[in-house]
Amino acid sequence: MKNFLYHKPTTLSEALSLRARYGQSAVLLAGGSDVVIQLREHLIAPEAVIDIKGIAELTGVVWDEHNLWIGAKTTMRELAEHPEVLRAYPFLADAASRVGSKQLRNRATCVGNIVNASPLCDTGTPLYALDAVVVTNAREIPICEFITFVRRTSLAADEIVTGIRVPHQNCKGEFTKISRRSEVDLSTVCATVLQAGDSYRLSFGAVAPTPLRLRETEALLNGKPLTAARIEQAAISARAEVKPISDIRASLEYRLDMVELITRRSLTNLMNGGSEA
Amino acid sequence: MDQLKHIGKSYTRSDAVNKVTGSAEYVDDIRLPRMLYAQCVRSPHAHAKILSVDTAAAWAMPGVRAVITGEEYPNRAGLYLEDRYFMAKAGDTAKYRGEAVAAVAAETPEIAQAACAAIRVEYEVLPAVTNAVEGMKADAPVIHPELGSYKVAPIFYPKPGTNISHHYVLRKGDFEVASFQADRVFTHKYYIPHVQHVPMEPHGCIARYDPDGKLTVWASCQSPYAVRQALSVAFGLPLHKIRVISQAVGGGFGAKAGTTLEGIVIPLARQCQGRPVKLVYSREDEFINAYVRQGMHATITTAMRADGKILGVHNEFIWDGGAYTEYGVNITKAGGWGSAGPYDIENVWTDSYCVYTNHPVGGPYRGFGMCEIHFAIEQNIDQIAHEMGLSEVEIRRINALCPGGHTGMGEKMDVAGYAECLEQVIRDIEYDVPSVQVSPTKIRAKGIAGGWKSPSMPTNAGSSAILRMNEDGTFFLMSSGQELGQGAATVLPQIAAEVLSVPPHMIAFVSGDTDHTPYEWQTVASRTTYCAGNACKLAAENLRDKLLDLAQIKMGAVKRDLELCDGYIVHKIYPERRIPMKDLALGITFDDGSGYGGPAIGVGTFTLENNINTDKKTGVATHHPAAFWTMGANGVEVEVDTETGHIKVLKMCSCFDAGKVINPALFCAQSEGAMVQALGTALFEELKLKDGKVLNPSFVDYKIPTADDMPELIPKFVEYAEPTGPYGARGAGEPLMVPGAPAIANAVFNAIGVRFTKMPITPEDVLNALKP
Repeated sequence: MKNFLYHKPTTLSEALSLRARYGQSAVLLAGGSDVVIQLREHLIAPEAVIDIKGIAELTGVVWDEHNLWIGAKTTMRELAEHPEVLRAYPFLADAASRVGSKQLRNRATCVGNIVNASPLCDTGTPLYALDAVVVTNAREIPICEFITFVRRTSLAADEIVTGIRVPHQNCKGEFTKISRRSEVDLSTVCATVLQAGDSYRLSFGAVAPTPLRLRETEALLNGKPLTAARIEQAAISARAEVKPISDIRASLEYRLDMVELITRRSLTNLMNGGSEA
Repeated sequence: MDQLKHIGKSYTRSDAVNKVTGSAEYVDDIRLPRMLYAQCVRSPHAHAKILSVDTAAAWAMPGVRAVITGEEYPNRAGLYLEDRYFMAKAGDTAKYRGEAVAAVAAETPEIAQAACAAIRVEYEVLPAVTNAVEGMKADAPVIHPELGSYKVAPIFYPKPGTNISHHYVLRKGDFEVASFQADRVFTHKYYIPHVQHVPMEPHGCIARYDPDGKLTVWASCQSPYAVRQALSVAFGLPLHKIRVISQAVGGGFGAKAGTTLEGIVIPLARQCQGRPVKLVYSREDEFINAYVRQGMHATITTAMRADGKILGVHNEFIWDGGAYTEYGVNITKAGGWGSAGPYDIENVWTDSYCVYTNHPVGGPYRGFGMCEIHFAIEQNIDQIAHEMGLSEVEIRRINALCPGGHTGMGEKMDVAGYAECLEQVIRDIEYDVPSVQVSPTKIRAKGIAGGWKSPSMPTNAGSSAILRMNEDGTFFLMSSGQELGQGAATVLPQIAAEVLSVPPHMIAFVSGDTDHTPYEWQTVASRTTYCAGNACKLAAENLRDKLLDLAQIKMGAVKRDLELCDGYIVHKIYPERRIPMKDLALGITFDDGSGYGGPAIGVGTFTLENNINTDKKTGVATHHPAAFWTMGANGVEVEVDTETGHIKVLKMCSCFDAGKVINPALFCAQSEGAMVQALGTALFEELKLKDGKVLNPSFVDYKIPTADDMPELIPKFVEYAEPTGPYGARGAGEPLMVPGAPAIANAVFNAIGVRFTKMPITPEDVLNALKP
């Protein structure tokens, strides 16, 4: 491993000036559960590592009048156990609680999960379905536009994500993770399917270079009551709308089967009144 | 026999406190003064001629203390077939993707790594053998052209000019006649992929050469004496100049039975005299460069009588041995030995081939071939039962090997608890009661399978033990039967404690140092409780005998009337006449001041008597080639999600005939571990190989069960004493794993009516099979 300078700023402005100084040659560190692996596997060789764990203003989950705020230092465990999150968005808590292992969830952050921009990030699909907004020191970016490709985001080299904002909304639905093993595994396919009033939101992970909202399938469902026939239509549509690949974890065909299955199962649960928010 | 005081009691593990508090010292914990760190350059090709190795740039780097290439290795070495240098040589070939071609010792691991990156190796890529069946064909590239000149143990038969390093043959009775007499004949095929042992602690080694020529090796290994022997051969060193120390071992499962990275570190240490050199494998190394369990292709043809009696079997096992089969040849032989399964079959024809491929090196893995062959044997039995309209239970009852019956090799069995174990698991899993269905898309069903195993060790494999008594009546029991987590450090003192009639905690167990603890062939083959246990028992009996000799002088009584009891030597007729044992620790002292019969020490050596090789031509046993056979069965219940293809194992029941269980809690822990390990291979584990490359050398994509995957586990045992075992014990650690995977496969069939002839059974396989 190449040597690097380790910085641990205590204020956001200090972190930003370090970020400005190093540009692309620095990497931000929060939980470290992705960064350390990337260092070890020589995928990155930064000159500097900027640890944001010392910055108090990035701490915690805040539930205010209009938004749920997930600060950049919020761990998966904090998110998964937050009472307001459990009440309003249990599928988001569920997704956070299905990431890696308990040890990892004590370290890994939700913002890190999004900034890492893996196509199969577990907290990606609930946040996509909630139309969450990624907030940096400089601007607000809808999450769908924030992640641009496999491990690529629209974050500028002098920017820092301070948190994720989720505007309050009434919705119900569920998160599903299909993996080879039920604990300590990556998603073969993950998904969040929500109903908000008479509109539907379907988002899937590990089926395209980024998490995906299935807008065509949503359009098919929006404004109409759920019926068994419409759910079948949606399942077929979802299958056509995703673009998975075959890899060591599963074949393209299996992923398509799972997209179809999850769409069918989750919508059927909504039709039957399950997954109440 | 008198009432046993310590055998059959669940004493707490003697190594537990140090292990759970993190204070047990593993190789990676050892930091010696002036230590150097090693790294390897490894071949990126599955099969390639090495044209040149240029180490000049590495030598020039500051902090580099030694650089070696294949030139350092004068002799090939290996346990049964001396077919490997520890590093590929220029002019010769690198035979798997990952084989070491050079190594560096430097002041830091980072410098060593940088130096390795600076070494230039020129290769000429050769066509690779990546399938054992293809590798047997006449036009396959020959991986070991010099096979004919390799030194080999006389019970193995390499075929020079081919990739076959051993062709095991068993011809008992006449299979042709059996198939002629049969009402029906069935042929089924199976494939078992490579898996890895994944011990918690990866392989590690430190070597130091002293200026006087003494080599000390700290190795995480199961068999310090076997490592010493291999290093002696490879480097031409006399045995008294090599000391192998194996401290705490963080799991072996066979992976640490042979000699692997030790061979890389020693020449580096030789170049840096006085400075220890350390190499610890990464997890990726563990998957690629330690040992893997061999892949295997099985074809079983079975001649059946209409009533369910098996008249004959014809087996072909083709083992994917990888680049070197110094150890794998014996797994091939073991597969042949066990090829009839725990069944009494008159006509057995078996060919078992060990085939070189350009895959990672195959080696021993818990079960030593038995898990692989039983995945075939035990599904074959179920398949035949279904095709003939018999029950899976009845066909096993009809053919079970019972006392007085004969093994596939023709040994007459005086003790055989298979049938009783089978009945026990059938009761425990309630095999006759259909599973309760909870959902139309989650189908539950039950399955059973049996299995057996014998140690596949040299017929003369030896064990020894030394028992020293201290002045206060405590003891040191010295043996090189290694504690790998299986419980040797608890069970062996328990055996000595029974003989001496003292609590086991008064006996400290010392092992793992070839300069100080006595010879043990290897800690493998589920032989430690049996072989090392016998040696420890004999050592204790030897010490007891000496103490009684002294006691009869001191007590003025006849030896035959004296016995050891709870720390005292007691007169059997006049129990009030007794002296503390400790009073004899330094002998006895007479009134005139003179001493006699000084420090108390007992010695025990064990070699199984009349353990005789099979007939060279037919493989048939005229006597007992196997020390013992351990038999048992599993019953399981699974739930198959027909929408996702996921299989959940709900319950596993095990029952084995362990002869005599020395420590029931440790036996049950072994049984539980074995079931879960079998579950892992049945559902998750496979080393994915493409053109010789391991695609999943990490826990991200090589999955083993977690605590969450644990089913309800019910471990049981029956006890039909092994006549030659200590207190009747026979080995169990490996056999316990054998029936798990086929039992799961059989249960999956019973749930969804699909037969999976390949492990692991993945959700995708299930879903594909269920598609119309």
